Amino acid sequence: MSNAPVLETRGLTKRYGSVTAVDGLDLTVRRGEVYGFLGPNGAGKSTTLKMLLGLIRPTAGSARVLGREPGSPDGLKAVGALVESPAFYPYLSGRDNLRVMARYAGTPRSRVDEVLRTVELSGRAKDRFKRYSLGMKQRLGVAAALLKDPELLILDEPTNGLDPKGMSDMRRLLKRLGRGERTVLLSSHLLGEVEQICDRVGVIRRGRLIAEGTVAGLRERPGLLVRAEPLREAAELARRMAGVEEVEVADGLLRLATDPGRAAEVNRKLVSAGLDVSELRPAERSLEEVFLELTGEETV
Amino acid sequence: MLASFTAEVLKLGKRPATWVLALVWLTVVLVFGYLFFYLISSVPTESLPEGQQAQQEALGEQLRRGLLPENLLENLFVNGIFGTGGSIALILGALTAGSEYGWGTLKTGLTQRPGRLAFLSGKVFALMVFLLLFVLLGLAAGAAGSYAVALLEDAAARWPPLEEFARALGMGLLILTTWASLGFALATLFRGTALAIGLGLAWSLAVESTLTLLPVESAVYETFRGLLLGENTASLASYFGSAPQGFGVPEPLVEPERAAVALAVYAVVFVVAAAFLFRRRDLG
Repeated sequence: MSNAPVLETRGLTKRYGSVTAVDGLDLTVRRGEVYGFLGPNGAGKSTTLKMLLGLIRPTAGSARVLGREPGSPDGLKAVGALVESPAFYPYLSGRDNLRVMARYAGTPRSRVDEVLRTVELSGRAKDRFKRYSLGMKQRLGVAAALLKDPELLILDEPTNGLDPKGMSDMRRLLKRLGRGERTVLLSSHLLGEVEQICDRVGVIRRGRLIAEGTVAGLRERPGLLVRAEPLREAAELARRMAGVEEVEVADGLLRLATDPGRAAEVNRKLVSAGLDVSELRPAERSLEEVFLELTGEETV
Repeated sequence: MLASFTAEVLKLGKRPATWVLALVWLTVVLVFGYLFFYLISSVPTESLPEGQQAQQEALGEQLRRGLLPENLLENLFVNGIFGTGGSIALILGALTAGSEYGWGTLKTGLTQRPGRLAFLSGKVFALMVFLLLFVLLGLAAGAAGSYAVALLEDAAARWPPLEEFARALGMGLLILTTWASLGFALATLFRGTALAIGLGLAWSLAVESTLTLLPVESAVYETFRGLLLGENTASLASYFGSAPQGFGVPEPLVEPERAAVALAVYAVVFVVAAAFLFRRRDLG
């Protein structure tokens, strides 16, 4: 997997009058990774994706997608996208909708049946789009995004509105699509989805990128979780230890803000003081905790 | 552009609204071009006062003669059938451009990489193909109507020369294209179909008709009237003859050749305006 960026933005900004939807966004997505673009509703995710696809123009800043201007026909040649809800011609069948899109894309007609098979929609390909369930519409949207066998796949909330089975199917499909050299930029506000699928995550809040890293990296916080008896004495002792910056007591556990590499030393000191240590492990937060911490009180 | 054109042809060809409008167009040609006038011209005159009977019969005879194949093009163009076709074309133009906004399909299509101008050009050319089909349908329906009248009247079916048919094809296409371009531009401007169709029809059927019929005699006003789309449509149509006297239809103000140029300029201006808007604006 090459580390070359396939998508880069520098100071990307979009203002609507006095409202700044995207504010100086610097984003880099590297070849072959599945990048989760995370943020609460209204954080600027869809606006960013639309700028990357040339559907809306930035007020300031720049973006390069596969080395080209966003929205240029040459650049879009290798980009597949599903932005917001899947939108197709209601009077056309699923297959005819894809035929129309294949003509716009300049891809051979045979690709239509291939992508229908990929999203497991061949059996309903003759039905009109307006008769499709939401899950089928989402899958048709993914099929349209796959027509060009793209190097970069941009998907905006692909599991929106799906039932648990539909979400599970879509996650399975996305995992499959993200294998190999293909790069996937997945926008979502569903943390479980991002946690399961993405290699790297960027968190956006009020149009600004406020955190970026691997899922494991974001969840990790330097610290140790200790279960010891008696708890109060263990906490007092921990507070006196050198290198422990903070001690919290929660749910019968001590959370020590310290280097997890000092686990053996902490254990030795507690045991030497006659305390019973039944559990000691590096502290880790759920992605949801990280997200809520980063985005404050905003709803997910 | 060719890719966008073929995509648009597929969309328009499979769209039920296209064929509903085609059916309306055929109905207009047959009912308002033939059936209506034939029934009027065949109303029994026995109940009329004696002095008016001969006059009414002569008028009926004149009307029926106007419906015969030799007067096919005059009937279709001069009596305003293609003018009404303009309103149908306006709706088709508005639907072609405006429905994409309502369905949100612009983002799906444009992210496939056609490029905005190619996307729009494909639409315009595909629309013109269907308008050409509408013109052919109109001429064919008119021919069928006039042939039926010839059969009913036991008259010979003498058709206009082929070059006149060719000219009618071009003129019909120009009229429908101009009005469709207006609908296309309005739908692009308003990002939808409803307001574009409403305003377009109100302008063509109410405002322009009223302006044309206003009894104002002024050189400035006539110059202004000469710029109207409807006036130029009627003036171009007058190539095939003049409107029957006594029906309150004003004489055309513009020479047919100048009207053709004016309509072509309008069509180009509407399409360029739509392209300018479509290329610059955010489509999210």
